[in-house]
Amino acid sequence: MDRECASLLPSVCEVLADSGRSVPDDTSLEKLLDWFTELTEAGGSLLEACPCLLKFISTVVHNTASDPGVLSFTLRLTGLMAATEDGFKMLQEQSVLNQVFNLQHWQEAGLWDDPCLRIGWIQGLRSTLQHPKALRFFVQSDFIDSLLQLQTDTSLFVASAANQMLAHILLFFQKVLSAGSNGVSKTEEEDERRIHHSVTDLEPPAVTMETSAEYSAVVKGISEYLKESLIPKEKTKLHQSLQILKLLALLLAQAGPPLRDKLLQTVTDSLEQLVTAGCSRLTLPLMDVILAANRGHHDTVHTARAVRILLLPLDIITGPTLLGTNATADEHPFSVVEQLKSKTSCISMICVCLTNTPQITLTLPGVLPCPPVLIVTAVVSLLRICSGTSSSSSTVCSEVCRNVIGSGKVQKCALEALTALNSSPGVKEKISEVFTILIQYLDNPDSDPTVLHKSYQALVKWIRACTDLSLITDQLRQDLVEVVRKRACDMRWEVRDSTVEFLGHLAGVHVSVSSGEEVCDASEALLGGCCTTPLLREALQDTESYVRASAISALAKTLTHSWRQGAALTQDQTEIVSRLLEILSQDTEGFPRRAVVQYFISWFFSRSSHSPPSSSTSSTSLLMECVRTVLSQGSADLDWEVKVHTLELAELLLDQAFSAHRGYRKGSDAHRALQHPYGVVSDQAYALHTHTGTHTEGVQSDLAHVVEQGVISALLSGLVDCDRPVALKACRLLITLRETICPLSLGALDATAATATVSCELLGRGWGQEITKILGMEKSDRAREADVSAQRSSGAADGGGDSVTVSVCEVLRSLGLDERLDVLTQSSDHIHNSPLSLLQDILTASGAHTHPDTKPGQEVIVDCY
Amino acid sequence: MPEIKVTPLGAGQDVGRSCILVSIGGKNIMLDCGMHMGYNDDRRFPDFSYITQNGRLTEFLDCVIISHFHLDHCGALPFMSEMVGYDGPIYMTHPTKAICPILLEDFRKITVDKKGETNFFTSQMIKDCMKKVVPLNLHQTVQVDDELEIKAYYAGHVLGAAMVQIKVGSESVVYTGDYNMTPDRHLGAAWIDKCRPDILISESTYATTIRDSKRCRERDFLKKVHESIERGGKVLIPVFALGRAQELCILLETFWERMNLKAPIYFSTGLTEKANHYYKLFITWTNQKIRKTFVQRNMFEFKHIKAFDRSYADNPGPMVVFATPGMLHAGQSLQIFKKWAGNEKNMVIMPGYCVQGTIGHKILNGQRKLEMEGRSTLDVKLQVEYMSFSAHADAKGIMQLIRMAEPRNMLLVHGEAVKMEFLKGKIEQEFSIDCHMPANGETATVTTNPSVPVDISLNLLKREMALGGPLPDPKRPRTMHGTLIMKENSLKLVSSEQALKELGLNEHQLRFTCRVQLQDPHSDPDTLNRIYTHLKSVLKGYTIQHLPDGTVMVESIVIKVSSSAEDTSTKVLLLSWSYQDEDLGSFLSTLLKKGLPSGLC
Repeated sequence: MDRECASLLPSVCEVLADSGRSVPDDTSLEKLLDWFTELTEAGGSLLEACPCLLKFISTVVHNTASDPGVLSFTLRLTGLMAATEDGFKMLQEQSVLNQVFNLQHWQEAGLWDDPCLRIGWIQGLRSTLQHPKALRFFVQSDFIDSLLQLQTDTSLFVASAANQMLAHILLFFQKVLSAGSNGVSKTEEEDERRIHHSVTDLEPPAVTMETSAEYSAVVKGISEYLKESLIPKEKTKLHQSLQILKLLALLLAQAGPPLRDKLLQTVTDSLEQLVTAGCSRLTLPLMDVILAANRGHHDTVHTARAVRILLLPLDIITGPTLLGTNATADEHPFSVVEQLKSKTSCISMICVCLTNTPQITLTLPGVLPCPPVLIVTAVVSLLRICSGTSSSSSTVCSEVCRNVIGSGKVQKCALEALTALNSSPGVKEKISEVFTILIQYLDNPDSDPTVLHKSYQALVKWIRACTDLSLITDQLRQDLVEVVRKRACDMRWEVRDSTVEFLGHLAGVHVSVSSGEEVCDASEALLGGCCTTPLLREALQDTESYVRASAISALAKTLTHSWRQGAALTQDQTEIVSRLLEILSQDTEGFPRRAVVQYFISWFFSRSSHSPPSSSTSSTSLLMECVRTVLSQGSADLDWEVKVHTLELAELLLDQAFSAHRGYRKGSDAHRALQHPYGVVSDQAYALHTHTGTHTEGVQSDLAHVVEQGVISALLSGLVDCDRPVALKACRLLITLRETICPLSLGALDATAATATVSCELLGRGWGQEITKILGMEKSDRAREADVSAQRSSGAADGGGDSVTVSVCEVLRSLGLDERLDVLTQSSDHIHNSPLSLLQDILTASGAHTHPDTKPGQEVIVDCY
Repeated sequence: MPEIKVTPLGAGQDVGRSCILVSIGGKNIMLDCGMHMGYNDDRRFPDFSYITQNGRLTEFLDCVIISHFHLDHCGALPFMSEMVGYDGPIYMTHPTKAICPILLEDFRKITVDKKGETNFFTSQMIKDCMKKVVPLNLHQTVQVDDELEIKAYYAGHVLGAAMVQIKVGSESVVYTGDYNMTPDRHLGAAWIDKCRPDILISESTYATTIRDSKRCRERDFLKKVHESIERGGKVLIPVFALGRAQELCILLETFWERMNLKAPIYFSTGLTEKANHYYKLFITWTNQKIRKTFVQRNMFEFKHIKAFDRSYADNPGPMVVFATPGMLHAGQSLQIFKKWAGNEKNMVIMPGYCVQGTIGHKILNGQRKLEMEGRSTLDVKLQVEYMSFSAHADAKGIMQLIRMAEPRNMLLVHGEAVKMEFLKGKIEQEFSIDCHMPANGETATVTTNPSVPVDISLNLLKREMALGGPLPDPKRPRTMHGTLIMKENSLKLVSSEQALKELGLNEHQLRFTCRVQLQDPHSDPDTLNRIYTHLKSVLKGYTIQHLPDGTVMVESIVIKVSSSAEDTSTKVLLLSWSYQDEDLGSFLSTLLKKGLPSGLC
């Protein structure tokens, strides 16, 4: 903790402990706790670093008039401090722990009714429970009963926290104990830490016989409770059973063998009783428990049973094909059929079944009751039933089928299952059947946009998995073309967009038409070349910007192949290019403009990676002409992503110009590791070039060329942009350029002298003016005033401002790029989310709230944004 | 008894982010799905694991309804639908659907600008999410499924904001979202039917405030801007692209026109055109004045407000600049602020709330020395003003809405606990209805009257009509007699004759009999006569007959007299009546038990 924070903390504690003052912002306390957690995780002792906290805790705990939020914070803080054995010992010696977690104290003070305090109590205790001493404290204080009571608390948050806490005790100490006896792997421990986001003791805690006995007592207590309370006393009061099933699912998914076996042993009878009771509200949580129990349990007998149970609803609805005809005897289908007759539970059960089918098909063949291909057939049949085009073959179940006809939930779930089933073993022969049902869905006027979207996704996935499309008949292909044409002019933009996206995805899939034949993209193979581009060109005029953007991306994907081959441009393609430039300069929405810049990036990239840069075909010259336009318009765009993409294009140009030169680091590798996770990164491979030899003249002419293309202007305007991602990207590229053409190292002086003659122009307005100002070449205020008035009187935007010409090298050296990079890599709220800033905010806010001369109506009210 | 349950995951006794779960008639609905801008990790989104641990939101929820485009009401939507996984229907009005992605994109930019941001969605996710949205029209009933229907009402607040009524069978809930009950410069006031919902879930941001008139605030705002301009200062107004920015633009535009002011007004980032585009597109959602004047002159095409270029900030002389974002936490508004902060002639006007960790928050709390990146300190010398222009109903407005909708129960969200408590007291006192204010994670349960639909036969209705009285009116319940038949899961009310006919049953007469002892030292016929006279005087308007067979008949009630064998002055009266006259029968028996008045002849 830095000194400044340490000096502010006592006053912050004072503010928080003062019950008369309200806490300024609902996030402040959470953030304060985050900071303390960080400090503890870094290995520091809070008690040593901030002794004022101890006094703070005692003051707050004894003041029953304290704000419940502050009390809750205090409980959690105490837990955090007691998470290490040393901290725990110290708090216990001061008898702070007993006071803080004393339930009776809170109940008598009437504060226990506030859910926020109950949560603080649970979470505080949970943080503490990281070592055997804490477990002893927990057992001796008899907290287990209170905790079990909280499991069914009226507050969802409290009940959930109690469940998490119960799971934590059982799982954490199970690991500690097994580590004590046979050692636990580091990774497991780390997993545990990650799962619970809690502070764990860094040293493995000392395990004693007492700990083991205490743990056994806790396990016994909890499992007995689970067993007793699982069965509802009244059929309508299912809250407790639901909560316990949730806890069981949580535990069984993570518990190791001894604990899991013990739990299962204890609760199996109650679970069976619950199953036979037939409460439909409990079906889903029960299935969760089955799934969780199965997750860590890989013996074939249990898995096979679980698989049969999961597939049962699908089997019943689509006619008994999956489980065989003797399923009746062992699976109680009667009660299942009864449940399926209720619409709500029918839909839930079939959805659980569908969600699990892809995973089921991947289990061992011996476990599966049927080959995966039959599961695909069943899902296809279900889709038919859902769309009302076929009825179930089992007459008994027509009543059940009625529940799924037209159900959007089941349709979407089945389509997702079908999509995921594409990679199951031995299902490829079903492609024709899958195509038929998907085309039928695409054609169905009742399908909603999400269903259509999912149908398209399923098609693409199946095509991708089936590289051989000879199984698709001409009739099917024709049907697909027709339905795509129809949907491309649907009334709803959502549908048009999915259709256009589908065309783009198809173009990205490579297939062979029949075995041994030439590989081509799927859109050509299935839609026969003539349909895609006209539809996409049409979509460039769409009224919805999202559709225009999708059309541009799809066009890029469609044309990539011909760019790679260096094919000559068709008239059609040239027209598309002029339309795209029009969109870049005129479209009012950002999405299509972003897509346009990306279109040129992929064109430039596919071309340059496959044909020599010197080849001056008409295609290349058109491209370079466009690149110049894109750079100048893109860098003046209002949308930050257009600007970032424009800088990516500039980067490609720099790569092309300088990658052969010494010192040029392609793709600014140096900064790549620091890239923000959401920063836009193209997926090309970057390699460090170690070309030797001096090409002074080459550098000079390449630099002149780059200036002429407008790359430098784009970079400089990006540098002073108010959107940080833009400025950051530009700054990095400028540094790379500086290192290449005018490195500050001594040996490169020659090159510098030559390149120094290359200059660029800075306009007297906009970014040019800002750069001039940084360079210290600014005009006096008086002269500027004259400019502004001239600008106003002439009325023209580009009226005033003389331009200056400066050497590129000089600009690069004088902009203070390294310092700028430093500032830019820190984020805008880097400072403002610091602990110091937080402490200052709490202090000043409390000052502002108690300020005597706040005028009425001036109070800052939390409203909306 | 059927129940409606309401559980806020957010906006329960706070104004962080709205996300409210409603269970009604077996359906689960999520109202709003907002994000908290004060966090930069998962805590900014509602925790959906409370609903389902396995991410099976689609199975649990029947629909999601978004009230308006503010991020604290819709910001978590792409996270929920694309990252947690929800494929069910999402409802919002047309303007909200159009504007939502703009604000989400705007916020995405800010998160890219920040470090350590986790779990934020991409542009593609925003689009995929918006593709799941079903647009709503005002006052149009939308059938979500066989049983669940929803209907949107105008809420004011921001363009496209809606209140929504949710109905399953006879149970219903109204959720207000954010609303205001007074029209402002560009929007109208909220309005709703007298729909008598079981619960009215209302925001309560200004639960304890009776706000001064908007005019005062506007005058104050203009005065401050004007003074600053007059002394040659620059005025920065940080705003979010859409919403109150437009209201303030109209205000300044009109003022500049009237005062013939020359200082330039700028609006940053090109969002003006976009915003204006949407206001034009959804002109029907604006207020009457704007709609009327639209024909002559589009209120959103400004004469004095020009697009801002980044270099203008350095121009000498006074100017007013609207810049995004609104909390001074990144981008253009922050850049301009840094440039202007050192000059005491300048001014920044914060028109809304700022979360902790933003420069806006700091300067509103009076911090004057701000640390910046690169170890520099910024001295804030410019004048800092706070003027809330957010459009929420104040206490008076909330009461007005209750009078409009006449709910059976009230539930408060989106407000501070202490203020809610105060308003709750007022509501319970004035309207004598229960008012709930659950905290986040707590469930408020309201039992409703089960309502069972019954068909009524036309014959029975006609007969009722023939008896006279007012025409049947659904708002004035009244008693009817008939026979209720349950047949094949349906209920029917018919006349008893029809019921007999339909069920093939014979009619049986049921008579009640009763003995009453009476001390009357007269002969039996005399006693009977005395009874006749007595009844005649008491029961005016009834048919009373003294029959020759020695009985008195009142309607269907037959009275006979016999003497006891041992004591002739002790008479035994035999009464018998059919069940239709049960009331009268028991009245008579009670009357006769009291004996006959002595003055009878």
